[in-house]
Amino acid sequence: MAQGILRAEGLKLSFGKVQALNGITVGLDREEILAVIGPNGAGKTCLLNCLSGFYTPEEGQVFFQGKKVSHLSPHRRARVGMGRTFQGIQLFLHMSVLDNILVGRHIHMRTNFLQSCLYWPWAAREEVEHMKVAEEIIDFLEMEPIRDAILGDLGYGLRKRVDLGRALALDPKILLMDEPMAGMNVEEKEDMARFILDTHEYRKIPILMVEHDMEVVMDIASRVVVLEWGHLIAEGEPGVIQKDPRVISAYLGEE
Amino acid sequence: MGKEGKDRTADHWEWPPIEADTLPKLLKFRAEQFADRVFIRYKHLGVWQRITWREVYENVRAFGLGLMKLGLKRGETVAIAGENRKELFWAEWAALSAGGKVVCLYPDMTPAEVKYLLENSDGVYFVAEDQEQVDKVLEVKSQLPQLRRVIYWDSRGMWHYRDPLLMEFKEVQEEGRRFGREQPQLFDESIAQGLGSDISGLSYTSGTTGLPKGVVMTHNTSLDGAFRIQMHCPLKPFTQYLSYISPAWGTEQLFGITLGVFVPLTLNFPEEPETVLPNIRELGVEALSFGPRQWEGLASIVQAYMLDAGWFRRFFYKVGMKIGYQIAAQRTEGKRIHPLWNLLYPLADLLVMKAIRDNLGFKKTYLAASGGTAMSPEVFRFFHAIGVKLRNAYGISEVGMLTQHKGDKFDLETLGSWYRSHPAFGPPLEWKLGEKGELLVRGGSGFQGYYKNPKASEEKLVEGWFQTGDAVHMREDGEMIFLDRVSDLRSLSSGHFFPPQFIEIRLRFSPYIKDVIVIGDETKPFVSALINIDAEIVGRWAEKNGLTYSTFPDLSQMPQVGELIRKEVEKVNRFLEEKSRVKKLVNLPKELDPDEAELTRTRKLRRDFIENRYAALIQAIYGDREEFATEVPVKYRDGRTGVVKTQTPIIHI
Repeated sequence: MAQGILRAEGLKLSFGKVQALNGITVGLDREEILAVIGPNGAGKTCLLNCLSGFYTPEEGQVFFQGKKVSHLSPHRRARVGMGRTFQGIQLFLHMSVLDNILVGRHIHMRTNFLQSCLYWPWAAREEVEHMKVAEEIIDFLEMEPIRDAILGDLGYGLRKRVDLGRALALDPKILLMDEPMAGMNVEEKEDMARFILDTHEYRKIPILMVEHDMEVVMDIASRVVVLEWGHLIAEGEPGVIQKDPRVISAYLGEE
Repeated sequence: MGKEGKDRTADHWEWPPIEADTLPKLLKFRAEQFADRVFIRYKHLGVWQRITWREVYENVRAFGLGLMKLGLKRGETVAIAGENRKELFWAEWAALSAGGKVVCLYPDMTPAEVKYLLENSDGVYFVAEDQEQVDKVLEVKSQLPQLRRVIYWDSRGMWHYRDPLLMEFKEVQEEGRRFGREQPQLFDESIAQGLGSDISGLSYTSGTTGLPKGVVMTHNTSLDGAFRIQMHCPLKPFTQYLSYISPAWGTEQLFGITLGVFVPLTLNFPEEPETVLPNIRELGVEALSFGPRQWEGLASIVQAYMLDAGWFRRFFYKVGMKIGYQIAAQRTEGKRIHPLWNLLYPLADLLVMKAIRDNLGFKKTYLAASGGTAMSPEVFRFFHAIGVKLRNAYGISEVGMLTQHKGDKFDLETLGSWYRSHPAFGPPLEWKLGEKGELLVRGGSGFQGYYKNPKASEEKLVEGWFQTGDAVHMREDGEMIFLDRVSDLRSLSSGHFFPPQFIEIRLRFSPYIKDVIVIGDETKPFVSALINIDAEIVGRWAEKNGLTYSTFPDLSQMPQVGELIRKEVEKVNRFLEEKSRVKKLVNLPKELDPDEAELTRTRKLRRDFIENRYAALIQAIYGDREEFATEVPVKYRDGRTGVVKTQTPIIHI
């Protein structure tokens, strides 16, 4: 596990008297889809926010590719290759799908404001390149029919897909996903599950996702971590986790 | 025009020359003729890409040689399944060049259907677009011992597939190129060996009645079809043609695959089936052929958009269309109109119709054809009103294209006038009317029979006449009117005959109605209808009227929706004589679905199946009940089954 691409050690985080994370240690391997599950308030999203830099843990460290990143702000972490998608979607509602995806390219843009305004040859060349990346993502996520649609006109399921596209536009080395299936219908979930698997298999991106939907988790995750009240209570393959009595009682309560 | 007819101009008519007797020979000839001209356009990563004749031919050659290297022998079958893509067309031309025959499958067929078609057609190679198609054939491969390879061109999602049957399209082409370097003459020799009478493919009937039958197509029948169209309503060389309807359908085999090479056309492939509308607009398509359902869909889209438009635009639309409809009536019904309308038309065209045409992408369209089943006159009128000169065409797989609107005649009631057939392919086309007004046809390249089914072939061919099964009326001026399928004309218990399809087609034009099946037979005193509402448009209507709903069963059973649909049916009832009118109707609590075998893949209704499935409901309609508890079994896409339970009100008119 030590050579995992992302590693958090002894994360502690509290809000007042609520201990959201109580010394959590997890690692993401180079070739896996790791699911973090747990009942409401277990600390899943807190963990994700600590990993991506939105929260600063009181104790503990985050390592990415062997280097400490705990001190980096979220946008710095994006630059080193940590992409993430959000539970509540953080996109530009009045912009087109294509533009939203291009936004994800910002960290790779080299020309400055003036050069872009004057549209110098290298600015033009650069734009073509970013456009190509964006179009490849549109092709990859099968978004051709909605390429020019305004995001605000799209349903929730499609917005989530665009959010994934925006994250992929960063060319991330890993992907942190916060409840990618929340609020979706069965068909949208199936599509999203396929895109997550494709992202993992074809783009070779390790994925850490927080997810409520047990069925999806059991289908696509290679490993599962279970949180309850800020504690890590179980870790292992989906089939094993499903039968773990601690997990069952955490989810269903005890009789 | 009486009871029979024949093309009598055959002897004193200057027939165009025959350039080649098979499609591959023609392809090779055209590739030499137009080497550097663009043949195919397709969209990749948001940009339209062009491919020249030389490149197309090289790709066809590579794939053809690849198939030969793999072991395809002359006369063997290559099955192809996918959306309209360049690779699909290459695969078909390649298989034909190698002496094989081709059967195209609808991309939404189930594994069981794929298995049946592969078995029935003796398919030895399966060329598939993507994972979706590959998965289907892998599911049934153990029952298909004759299957040698499954070749796919879009590897997405199959990076971990290790089945020894699988091979990538590009790999086959690479094999072919290597093989071509070893034996440079082989491909040309193979093309040269082809004969006009060779079987080029099997076109499967859509199976409205029983299992699909494979209609044998030869190079002669294909080229005969191409000549019929070019001698009737010619397409200009390098016309921008949109390839959208499935190649599994005979119409696209004729237009895209055959006329594409014959005329030749510039073939354009939409990016995805869902992007066809923006794609038509970007391309400025000049010729296209849709089924009536697709035309109806386009008309509904315009109407739905106009429902959402502001009062200002709606006002202009209303006024402009009023003028357009007058002109359309003049053109399609021969109605005399006040000359004032003709004066107003250019203005209306400029302000309204041109914009609609532009938005739909029909600005440059000079040939718009509708073929397949009969077309609703309202839709037909609508397109003429917006200035798209839509033409009806009529043909059947077994005997090819038969009639089409010609020149400036667009009588909406008719399917046009008769094609002539080139004498190189057989005697002139002849027709006569059989019992119950059934159309009988002979001549041209003629009916080649159903594949491995001589019994069914004989039943269709009586004393050399092919029984079309369509009841038609032939007018004095030689234009044909379609009434109904002979087997579908039905009588009520009173002995009164009524045209169920006619009613259905007119009802379907309502933007709120997606599908409808009309009930009525010898045991029933009146006509009734089962209606499948259009969830999207009715949903929008409900939203606008402040009605909340959750699911389709919920929406469809709302009393307000019932009232809405009742009014739509009343509108159509006005066109019908008293005894044929719809007296009661029911909004179905679930959508009709080809996955549940309620519709065929071409979205034709499977009448018997539906009437069987809803037998209890139908019984309730003819009783004196006001409401009926329906339990509809539904099959979900992932294979699970469930039951939808609702209280379905029976609506009286």
